[in-house]
Amino acid sequence: MHYKKQLAVVAVAAAVGLLATGCSGGGGTSSGPVELSVWTGFTGGDAPGYEQIVKDFNASQKRIKVTMSAEPWDTIQQKLPSAWMTGQGPDIAAPASDPNVIAQYVKTKSVLPITQTGSGDTKINVDDFAPALVDEFTYDKKLYAVPANYATLSLYYNKALFTAAGVTPPTTVAELKEAAKKLTSGGTYGLVLADNNTIQMWPVLQWLEGGDIVDSKNCSVLDSQKGQSSLKPWVDLVVNDKISPVGLTGAEADALFSAGKAAMEINGPWAAPGYKKAGIDLGIVSVPLDSAGKPVTLGSTAPLAISAKSKHPQEAQEFLAYWTGKTAQKKFSLSTGFPSLRTDLADDADLKADPVVSVFSAQVPGSRLYLPQVPNATKVDSDGYVPMIGTLTRGTPLAEGTQSATKTIDDLTGCSAK
Amino acid sequence: MTVLTKVREPQDGSRTGIRGERRRRRRFRLSPALLFLAPSFLILGVFVLWPILVSFWYSLHEWTIGADDQPWVGLGNYIALTQDPKFWGALLHTVEITVISVAGIVVLGLALALALARDNLGSRIIRSAFFFPTVVSLTSIGLVWRFLLDPDLGLVGAITSALGLGNVGFLQSPQLALPTIIFVNIWKNAGFVMIILIAGLKGVPAERYEAARLDGAGSWALLRYITLPALRPTMLFGTLIMTIQSFQLFDLVYVMTGGGPLFSTDTLVTMLFREGFVNFQTGYAAAISWALFLVIVIISALQLRIFRYNDVD
Repeated sequence: MHYKKQLAVVAVAAAVGLLATGCSGGGGTSSGPVELSVWTGFTGGDAPGYEQIVKDFNASQKRIKVTMSAEPWDTIQQKLPSAWMTGQGPDIAAPASDPNVIAQYVKTKSVLPITQTGSGDTKINVDDFAPALVDEFTYDKKLYAVPANYATLSLYYNKALFTAAGVTPPTTVAELKEAAKKLTSGGTYGLVLADNNTIQMWPVLQWLEGGDIVDSKNCSVLDSQKGQSSLKPWVDLVVNDKISPVGLTGAEADALFSAGKAAMEINGPWAAPGYKKAGIDLGIVSVPLDSAGKPVTLGSTAPLAISAKSKHPQEAQEFLAYWTGKTAQKKFSLSTGFPSLRTDLADDADLKADPVVSVFSAQVPGSRLYLPQVPNATKVDSDGYVPMIGTLTRGTPLAEGTQSATKTIDDLTGCSAK
Repeated sequence: MTVLTKVREPQDGSRTGIRGERRRRRRFRLSPALLFLAPSFLILGVFVLWPILVSFWYSLHEWTIGADDQPWVGLGNYIALTQDPKFWGALLHTVEITVISVAGIVVLGLALALALARDNLGSRIIRSAFFFPTVVSLTSIGLVWRFLLDPDLGLVGAITSALGLGNVGFLQSPQLALPTIIFVNIWKNAGFVMIILIAGLKGVPAERYEAARLDGAGSWALLRYITLPALRPTMLFGTLIMTIQSFQLFDLVYVMTGGGPLFSTDTLVTMLFREGFVNFQTGYAAAISWALFLVIVIISALQLRIFRYNDVD
């Protein structure tokens, strides 16, 4: 009996030990470099550029060692909130490709305000970032993230299909619509448009026509005269002229373009390596000028934030200073085609000479973020804007679709309560 | 003699005496068996029971992961659910997927089991083909079907075009997306039910069929009065498992449509995921999970009741 009892006690002790091991955090060593972990969702064609930044940082000094892992964005989004809450998460993370997501992490006090700002290589040079990027990550006058990148959208086109149709790359919105119609024939789409799980393409089309989604008070303007007239020509082109299939995800739209079944697509610099690999005779030009003759396109950035429970906030900020620094950013732009997030690289001769970077960089001044600082922006997109585009392109009357979206959006932004 | 057999009354007035004392001591002794079970109980308690209880606690709050302040809302989340058209839509889709899928899986599984019960090479090969999707992950299946069903680049799109139907967007059409997911779910699981029903069929004594045939029973009578009653426990098992699995279907929907287009394939679990992990409304997501739990309990109880009634019958 004693033997049995002892065995039982050992079994319980083992179980408790097992649980305790599972619950304990991974402790650092007292000697050696400080180890920082970074989670991101950079798995596309631009991934090698980010990996190079980490590699160069680790090689540049011996005190801090950074390990970066990349998983799909939805996996990061699923794991990160609870990981950060329990102190098990990474020191630094890019929580999503959507910059608006950072508001949620600020609300839950999961991220650390960034304080090591200023000039010099060891500080985060906030003054050299595009002001819109700083504003996007500033809440209650505190900066909670730095941009991991800054991308503008350009117009990708298939040179072979253009030549066959006798069309030249469009430079104005009127030419874009005409080209989209002309290039649509025999199983080929003129301008492939994704409306869900994608970088936002439809807001660019609206901006080109002088329309918008919300006004400065965060109230929807989709059902206004201007809002409806900015949507109408593009909805007509999809519904009547079939310039694009309906209901595509970003990946599906990219696949169509890669397969040579679409003549044009509005996309970011991350898409270029995939298209080239697919053997597309690729051309990249700026998004055509809007109806008033001005340049406009979407600007997009992924935030990099530090966990509020990081044991090494100083070192983490030092790493972010390196990531956003001039040397790393120039190298990153040249290897990925992304424009620089730093204004002091705008006139850099090497970047201007690069045929891909120059196209994306040239559009930075006219670029706009999607729903910046709009309350519940993520839900405004998923519950208001995306379903509206989905219903309109499936034949719902314009007035009905925009009114429904306006109600949803105003409820979410708090506009209807004002 | 009477004195000798009389149970001695204890001094303290209790009725049980020495034997009772022994029993009491035995009752309070820590059984080694319990200690051996403790690790499992501990793991079950920490990783299953505790999260279940905590999720109910969350559902009574406007809970946001990590926030300092978690306002108490009582039944507010449940009331909000009843007023949320997306919840009713998701519930309807969940029920549609479950009812049609389970009926399809069981009927197809039964048909396959009856057709392939014989042990010959051909049957074994066809059985393996039908069973294969069961061992493949739902995510892989979802990705493969999504590619196949691509209206412009997929095989199915090419077939529909060749048949003159044009490029049918099975996953892009709000009308077709849900039936398509149900079809894939049936295809994926019919093989599992087929295998367990074949195992059930092997347990039916051949004498019963012989006796029935001697009495003049035809094929339909054999199926109706011998095969189906004999398979009832196996079918109950299959139906229950498939019902619970279909109610909790997530991977397939998430990979194939993400709940779209226009929320036409949104289920309670995809909605729960979106509210909890995209919109960070943990309390609301917890309320959805309890609503789903309630639905599963009711349906499972109904199924058990129906099958038990038939057993008595």
